[in-house]
Amino acid sequence: MSQEHAGEKNVPVIELRHVDKHYGDLHVLRDVSLSVARGEVVVIIGPSGSGKSTLCRTINRLETIDSGEILIEGEPLPQEGRELARMRSELGMVFQQFNLFAHMSVLDNVTLGPREVLGQQKEEAERYALELLGRVGVAEQAHKVPAQLSGGQQQRAAIARSLAMRPKAMLFDEPTSALDPEMINEVLDVMVELARGGMTMIVVTHEMGFARRVADRVVFMADGQIVEEGVPDAFFDHPKSQRARDFLDSIKGH
Amino acid sequence: MSSTRTLSMRDALYEAPGPRTRRRVRIGTAISAVVVLLAIAAVVRQFWVTGQLAPRYWSFFLQWTTWRFLGQGLLGTVAVALTAGAIALVLGLLLMLGRTSGVRPLAALCRVVTDFFRGVPSLLLIYFFFFVPAQLGLKLPAFWMLTLPVALAASGVLAEVFRAGVNAVPRGQVEAALSIGLNRGKTMRKIVLPQAVRYVIPSLIAQLVVVVKDTTVAYVVSYPDLMQNARVLITSYDALVSLYLVIAVIYILINYAINKASVYVANKTGVRIVR
Repeated sequence: MSQEHAGEKNVPVIELRHVDKHYGDLHVLRDVSLSVARGEVVVIIGPSGSGKSTLCRTINRLETIDSGEILIEGEPLPQEGRELARMRSELGMVFQQFNLFAHMSVLDNVTLGPREVLGQQKEEAERYALELLGRVGVAEQAHKVPAQLSGGQQQRAAIARSLAMRPKAMLFDEPTSALDPEMINEVLDVMVELARGGMTMIVVTHEMGFARRVADRVVFMADGQIVEEGVPDAFFDHPKSQRARDFLDSIKGH
Repeated sequence: MSSTRTLSMRDALYEAPGPRTRRRVRIGTAISAVVVLLAIAAVVRQFWVTGQLAPRYWSFFLQWTTWRFLGQGLLGTVAVALTAGAIALVLGLLLMLGRTSGVRPLAALCRVVTDFFRGVPSLLLIYFFFFVPAQLGLKLPAFWMLTLPVALAASGVLAEVFRAGVNAVPRGQVEAALSIGLNRGKTMRKIVLPQAVRYVIPSLIAQLVVVVKDTTVAYVVSYPDLMQNARVLITSYDALVSLYLVIAVIYILINYAINKASVYVANKTGVRIVR
């Protein structure tokens, strides 16, 4: 694929420089800088309200930022219009609530982007869509509407919808937080496969097992700041900051 | 929420009745049945006393020319209602799109137009179309002098109905559409509108009932609708109560059919987007 061209290897796929954002008085992102290399899997963890979802959503401008810079493959994230739409089409996004288009079949969900944005023919789009739906294990459900699928199936179909755009990177905004426990693993398995396949990923999650197993780097956020980052084993076994130690203590046990 | 289709409003709002409540409901039903029967008896008696049941007030219903004339009026009513309904749908949609376009002056204009048509009585609009074009030397057919104002009045309401539908589409649907690179226009056309329309189909059809009722002021412009033709018969047979009763029943039947259609359509399309 074109993004594999030599010479671009060293440019981060996603880079945030000194990003700040307020919601009124609330300072949700404080001087956040983050760089994600090609093929890297970065998992963002932290207590709720720490700004990790907001961070994820700023990267394809579903949330605007007050100051700082966001670069995609070295290019500033466009502010609007056709350029922004094109950039969004190159970044896959997976939502907590799946957000499959409720009035369309699963297959139409997956082919909509390729047909409307990439200008593919119906047959071509459907062939690839069915391949992707097979890969995430919901090919049987292709002709059902989302309401007929379980949460886990919906989320896997949503991942297929993003992959159909052949994205440069995937953003996961708490992809398993709305799922019943028995469905979490089927979604995580798909994500593990993606990571093994070399996909560049930013994953906001509470699944610590996934983070430890799959992440190249764990980023710990609290109060809108990146408090600490490192390789998973080092972070989970020997967190450097008190905030991270408190957080990890609060979620383990049981 | 997956059983929304079979869940009636009563089931949703109240708990299932227990034995004492069921007895109370039975007693209430019996009492109200008696009251209704007494009321009907009183009306019939009053008709009898005042001579409204006399054959001369009813015999002309046996002539088929009476029904043909009323039928022609009914066709006129249906033609105006359908045309006005279709215009109002398109105009209402355009007004809503303008209002939610994000282009300030256009949005403000559409908002003013919407509120104007929603706020002004349709009779006033009809007088406007009756007098103003004529003064400007424009000769509008009676059909359009009636259809246009009825359509405009309905378009204001429909714009708001559409807007409510668009607002009911979850934000996540728009975000997902934007995230795969659809632009604003395609997001609206492919994702938001199809869902919004399904949400509001019952309200849209209910508004058609209002349109049908609005057409009854056709007499202002002398358009031969059901009401106007009934008035002609009233004058020629000097039979006011019997005729008004009969056409009231016809209007009720029309609107009952429209409501039935709305339930049918809502069930057919609504089930697809139940979450």
